[in-house]
Order: sequence, then C-alpha cells, then structure tokens
Amino acid sequence: MQTDNKKPGKLLAVVNIITILAVLFGGAAYLIFLPHETVAEDENRRLASFPEFSPKSYIDGSFTGGIADYFDDTVHGRDRIKKFIAADITPLKGRKYGGDEDGAELYGIAFEHSEETPAVTTAAATTAAVTHTTVSSPAVQTTAVTTAPIPAEEPAAEGGEINSNILVVNKRGLPLYPGGDVQGYADTINEYKKKLGDVNVWSMVVPTAGGLYIPSNYKSLAVDEKKDIDAIAAALEGAVPVDAYTSLAAHKSEDIYARTDHHWMALGAFYAAKAFTEAAGLPFKELSEYEELHLHDYLGTFYGYTQSPTLLNNPEEFVYYRPKNEVTVDQYDTSFRDPLDVALLVPSDNMTPSGYYYVFGMDNRIAHVHTKTGNGRKLVIFKDSYGNALLPFLTYSFEDIYLCDMRYFDLNAVSFIKQVKATDVLFSMCTFSATGPNLNCLKADMYK
Amino acid sequence: MVFSRLFFIYIFLPVCLGAYFLARGTKMKNNVLLLFSLAFYAWGEPVYVLLMLLSAVINYTAGRLIGRYGDSRKSRITAGLAVFTDIALLGVFKYSGFIVENINHIPSVELPVPDIRLPIGISFYTFQTISYVIDCLWETVTPQKSFRKFLLYVSLFPQLVAGPIVRYSTIEKEIDERTSSITDISYGLNRVVLGLAKKVIIADQLGIVADSLLGGIENATAAAAWTGAAVYAMQIYFDFSGYSDIAIGLGRVFGFHFDENFRHPFMCRDITEFWQRWHISLGTFFRDYLLYVPIFGKRRKYGGLFLVWLCTGIWHGASWNFVIWGLYYGLFIFIETLIGKKRMKKIPLVIRHIYSKAVIIAGFGIFYFEDLDKLGTFFTKLFSTGRLIGLQDRILLVNNVYLLILAVILTFPIIDGIRRISQRSAPVRTAAAVSLPAVSAALLLLTSILLVDQTSHPFLYFRF
Repeated sequence: MQTDNKKPGKLLAVVNIITILAVLFGGAAYLIFLPHETVAEDENRRLASFPEFSPKSYIDGSFTGGIADYFDDTVHGRDRIKKFIAADITPLKGRKYGGDEDGAELYGIAFEHSEETPAVTTAAATTAAVTHTTVSSPAVQTTAVTTAPIPAEEPAAEGGEINSNILVVNKRGLPLYPGGDVQGYADTINEYKKKLGDVNVWSMVVPTAGGLYIPSNYKSLAVDEKKDIDAIAAALEGAVPVDAYTSLAAHKSEDIYARTDHHWMALGAFYAAKAFTEAAGLPFKELSEYEELHLHDYLGTFYGYTQSPTLLNNPEEFVYYRPKNEVTVDQYDTSFRDPLDVALLVPSDNMTPSGYYYVFGMDNRIAHVHTKTGNGRKLVIFKDSYGNALLPFLTYSFEDIYLCDMRYFDLNAVSFIKQVKATDVLFSMCTFSATGPNLNCLKADMYK
Repeated sequence: MVFSRLFFIYIFLPVCLGAYFLARGTKMKNNVLLLFSLAFYAWGEPVYVLLMLLSAVINYTAGRLIGRYGDSRKSRITAGLAVFTDIALLGVFKYSGFIVENINHIPSVELPVPDIRLPIGISFYTFQTISYVIDCLWETVTPQKSFRKFLLYVSLFPQLVAGPIVRYSTIEKEIDERTSSITDISYGLNRVVLGLAKKVIIADQLGIVADSLLGGIENATAAAAWTGAAVYAMQIYFDFSGYSDIAIGLGRVFGFHFDENFRHPFMCRDITEFWQRWHISLGTFFRDYLLYVPIFGKRRKYGGLFLVWLCTGIWHGASWNFVIWGLYYGLFIFIETLIGKKRMKKIPLVIRHIYSKAVIIAGFGIFYFEDLDKLGTFFTKLFSTGRLIGLQDRILLVNNVYLLILAVILTFPIIDGIRRISQRSAPVRTAAAVSLPAVSAALLLLTSILLVDQTSHPFLYFRF
C-alpha cells in the first residue's frame, strides 16, 4: 500500500485513482444494474426485498436500513461468490488439523469433554456451547419464505433451539454432542407412560453422526452419545427402549447419515425403523418394497452453517425411498385442524437438491397416515426432524400413524393420544433433542 | 450507516465523490459534504439526527457567546453550561439505563430502567463539541461564525460514527480553504481501501477465532484464555484502526488532514507508551481537558490520573467491565509513574515487552467480558494449571494459522518499512509504486467479496 509519500509520480497517482474509482463505479453498476438475487437456498430463506416507504418505516429506520440491506443481501451471483469464498479464500486462513485431505476443521465453540465431566450431564452443560458471533455490521433484516420452492422458515420453538459445534473430518460434518439432561428425559417418558396406562410406550433415542463417526482421537470434543442413550434406557420404567444405536452401528459403513447435513439419511431411518418394528413384533418390509430415489450433489445444513470448503468440494448423493403400498396422508395444523390432502413424500417435480425437508416435509404440521395394513395398530410418534424420515418405513407396520413434532404441538399430548385411540406411542428423536432444550417442549406437551 | 457495507462502498461513496468533485469552490464542496454527512447519519438514525443537530446548535451558540464575552466569568459560565449539557445528553442517552440498573440494586428501590437506544457516534461528536467549547474558552480557536461550517465540523461523515475525535483546530483552516491534490486523493483512496481490508479481511475473521476461544470460557485452558484475548486484542486493533484509516483516508480525499489515531500500539514497551499509540485522539482529549482539572488539589497528579482512566473506561461502554478496564490501565500507569521513566528504561527490553503484552492481553479480556462472572472465570483460567492446550484449540489454531501469522505481522509497521526501503532503493520504489494500483484494487475486490458473505444467515442453530 502507498503511504504518505511526498514525491510519488503524478502519473502513477492518477493511474491509482483511476483504478480504484473504476472498481468503485464498476461495483456500483454491478450492484445497481445486474439482476438481484431473491433466494438463498443454502440458507433456506428469501433474501431481503426492497422496503416499502411509510412515515413509520422511515422514522424507525427500517426504510433506509432496508435499502442498504437490500443492496447488500441481493448481490448478483451471490451463491457463486459464496462458493468461491468457501472453495478458494477460506482455505487460505490455515490448514486442516492433521494436515492431509481428511484432516479436521472445527466450527463454533467446541465443547471439550474433559475427564472430570460426568457421563450423565445436566442441562446447564448445553448452554456452554452456544454459538457466539460478533459482527459489528448491522444484521440484515430478511423475511422468511412462505411459498415454494423454499420451505417456510420454522417458528422459534418454545424451549429454545439446539446449539452445537461442528467438526469436519474425513470429509464428514459431525455435530459435537455436549451432553444434557438424561434423567430428565427418562423421567418425562416415564411420566407419559404412567398417564397413558395400557398404551405401549416406546423410546428410541437416535445417535447423531457424531455419536457414530467421531474418530477416536477427537472423542474428547464431545460427550459419548452411546453412554447417554444407555443411561436413558436403564432409567426407563414401563416404557420400552428401542436400541437404534446398535442397528445403526452395525451398518456404519453404509450411507446411513448425511455427511453435509445434521440429519441421518433415509437408510439410517430404515435400520432404526426395523429395530423398532422388531421390538414391537410387527411386520416390516425390506428395501425391495420401496422405490429408490436420488438427489444429486446434495449439500446440506452443515455446509450452510460452516461454508466448509471440504464439504463444498465433496457433495453427496441423497438417497430416499418411497413405499410402494397405498397410503393416504392428511396434514393438519399444530392444533390438529384444517386438514390438507398431501403426498407422503414431497413430490419430486421441480425439486432442487436443497435439503432434507424437501423430501420429508417440514416439522410444523401434524401428519396422519392411513395404510391398508389392517392390523388395528395405531401409532403416535412424537419426534424431532429425525422422525420425519422414519415415517415411510412404518407404513407396512401400522394401520394409522400420527406424526407430531413435540416443538410444534398445541394440544395436550396425552389427551391427543387417547383421542386417536393409539395403541402405541413412539418417542423418537436424536440425542440433542432428547436431553437438550427440546426436552422442555416434550414436558410441556403433557400439560397443555 | 457503517463503512464496511457494500451499500456504503458502492453506492453512497461513489455518489458522494461524484457530487463533491463536480461541485465548484469550497463553499459548494462544503454544502455537498454537509448534505452527505447528514444523509449518512440520518440513514441509520432518522430521529437521532435531530439530537446531533440540537447538540450542534447548543455548542455553536456557546462558542458564539464565548467569543462575544471574551475572557470573562460569563464565558466560563457559558462554557460550563454547554459542557454540562453535552455531558448530560451523553449521560441520558448512553448511561441512564446503566445508572438506574445499579441504583436498583439498593434494597427496596425499583426504578423503571430507561430503554434508550444508544445514538450512533454520540460519544465521538459529544467529545468534539466539548473540545470546541473549551478551546473557544481558552482562545486556542476562534469561534466559528457560520453554523453551516460548524455543523459540517460536527457531522463530517468520515469521522462521525467511529472517530477519531477530531479537534476543531485540526480542520479550522481547512473548512474555509483546502485543496485535494492528485497525491492527496490517491493517498486517501489507498488509505480507505487499507482500512476496509483491515476491518473485513483481518478483524472480522479474527473475531470468529476470538469468539471460538473465549466463548466457552468455562471449559477453556490457560492457553485458550491467553490466546483468545490476544486474538481479540488484534481484532479490536484492526477493526478500530481500520475505521480510523477509512476516516483519515476519506478526510484526505476531501482535503482534510486528520491526525493519526493509532501508531502500532503493540510495539509499545510499557503501558504508558501503549496509550500513546492506541486511540490517540481519546488519550489526548483526556490529557488536555481532564487530567489537570483542579478538583484534586495537591494530589491532582494521581487523582487526575485515576479520573482520566475511570472516564476512559466508561467512555467505551455503559458496563462495569469497562469501568474495571479503565481503572486497570490506570493502575498500571500509576505504578509506572511511581517507578519513573528512567528506572523503567533500565528494565531489560524483553521483560518490558513481556510485561506490557501480558497486561494488554489480559486487559482485552476485561474488555471482552461484560458479564462479570465470566470475567472472573476468565481471570481464573488465565492462571489455571492442568492441560496446556485443549484439542479444540489446537484444531482451531491450525485451521487459522496463516490468518493469525498475517495478523501478527501486520501489527508491526510493515508499510513504514516498505516506504523506508523504497526511499533508499529506486527499483523498490518503482516496483511499489507500479504495483500499488493492482494491490489496492485486489484488496478492494477481496473485501467486497467477503462482504457478500457477511450478509449470509447460515443455520446458526440446528433444527433437529
């Protein structure tokens, strides 16, 4: 850079001025005249729109602020620029830990499990891992998408969202489990069982990819999910634990978890569903009874969060399965009203390879699936988003299935279960939900 | 509005530059600058722009009255009233919530806590107007007769929201008569680009590392606490000095010559020197206007010193950690004063560097943690034993090793070094001058690209 040099060549100074002004005015033309982007698929949101003027919006600053947000947020080619940053600029900051292509990258504030930390942790431990971001520029105001093709942004759940940190290693994103309220989860399920009497109550706490794939030399970064799952199973009274962990671990070499997303793959849900139906003594169909579908070059939520060059350069094949049997599906709002006739899986027409929810739908609806199984078994599933992928694999096992997200449920859960005359209730969620802030939702659903 | 936004760089600034250089004569140029400065401020503060105008009216009037009364009691009363009003406005808009919250700690007191949003830049422009009124009283400047020109001084957008605190005397003549030479414009634009690059390429990236190291302080090792605070110190340096570079650079483009606000502060050998190199305009403000206020009688040397550092701390924010931060530095400067300059110089240089960096790094920990419990944990961690460094910290540091090395290097006067070498060597001088436009353009483009990413709203929270 030039400093206050007293005798620079005047010509060079002119060239310098022209160069910088060319960038400034060229950039202005780029920003103003090229088409503005409207959607950020990797962030699952609509980009800022030009604000509407009103005296109120001017006085509160949202109009002028909104104009700046609009130009900042909707830059032409935004997605390509972001991918350029991820692929070509971010790696310049440093090296992967371990050095080679499969080395580690860490995002967020990692919770490091030390020797002194008890295996059964408390809810307080979760709060230590909240992602803390300081940005001195004002945050851009955006609006949630309400129409296709981007799914609507979910409302904030009571009890908070789940925060974590991500280790990218061996070209795979792994959420680092911070531990949580194991006993609290078991107590809650036990209370459900007491209130439900003869209804079969099942608990299937599912490990995340971190619980299965974290290399041994990185295990200190997270609490052992298996230990917490086993501790939950041991603390259940009356409710029956379903051991998904063992089933999943047996198929670890297959693509049972997404590498670029925090969810499991449909294949993982298949093995977990199989474990559940075996425990329940119900029929179950192998994958040959399903139509196999693919989304290519899938980049999931881990990429959205980390912008990791490793994940960007290693997209994956998102494989899912559609049952061949005939089912009817009605979707309701969170109070079990206003039914809509929908497909079991989101139709693939115009589907873009953007996300888990494209395939399995959003969480903030209650789904009722009626099958021709005719065995009289009615299942209510209380779940987090992991549970969505389970649904297709249970359509050969139950006559009716009610899929309810514990975070978006406005009825008394016990009354609902009795109202639909359920024979079985399955609490199925990942470890983060079971022992983290989402547990509050599960507790609250009993008393609404 | 802030500088590090695409809207400012590519819309506001080109339009402003175009209008400014199309305007003929200093008067028109001043009008253009005033218009854009008010628009700049009102863009983010459509209502509080009125507060700034009110402050300008009060202090302009005070200046005029002081000029009329000359060296008299009336002048002193006028200046006193103006300064009191300035401090009162700052107190209401910046500190009232903090004060009431603390009063509410008294048993049985439950006052409603005012929910007043801090007007952007109020700390900077208030100090500018205070310095103006006092300078008028001390007759070091001539009171400005034109309200338009005075308002331009107060609202000049390059230094309005993030300093430096520009004295009226600095630009008194240039308001009426100035030129922007080709070399001034070239230098100014380069300085703007440098400031943006420091802020966006270095500081914002360091911020991610600092937050990762300090955010989970409960689980941090001693190494993580020290490293996190050191990275945070560099983040604040590149952020704040970057803004000062932009202000100085824009000022130069418009023909103003603002004083430097940072002079490689981490090169210091003791804490006194650190504050001669860090946020210089604030330090000189307190030195000139507060240090020798005769309220401590014979003990004014030390009383004034602690008053200055109390004010320095609280100026940075309405929170106890900033009070502690200021007094913390005051304590070390007090100790250094007791030791004396001559004896300080006899201490081996290595020891002085280690001492000063340790104090500065721990000091930025105080700056970081507004939560006093976490601040206590931070200090406990600084001196904790056990594991030297955790796995997570090792991964994080390796993932950012080149960024950190670059940041450390850039805390040294690299550009000054290049300039010195180029003055001795014609080939180096030519190479530096020829490559300059390309380097500037590349830095500006890289900054802009990274700013696109800053609007990103990734999944901060998993939704299982």
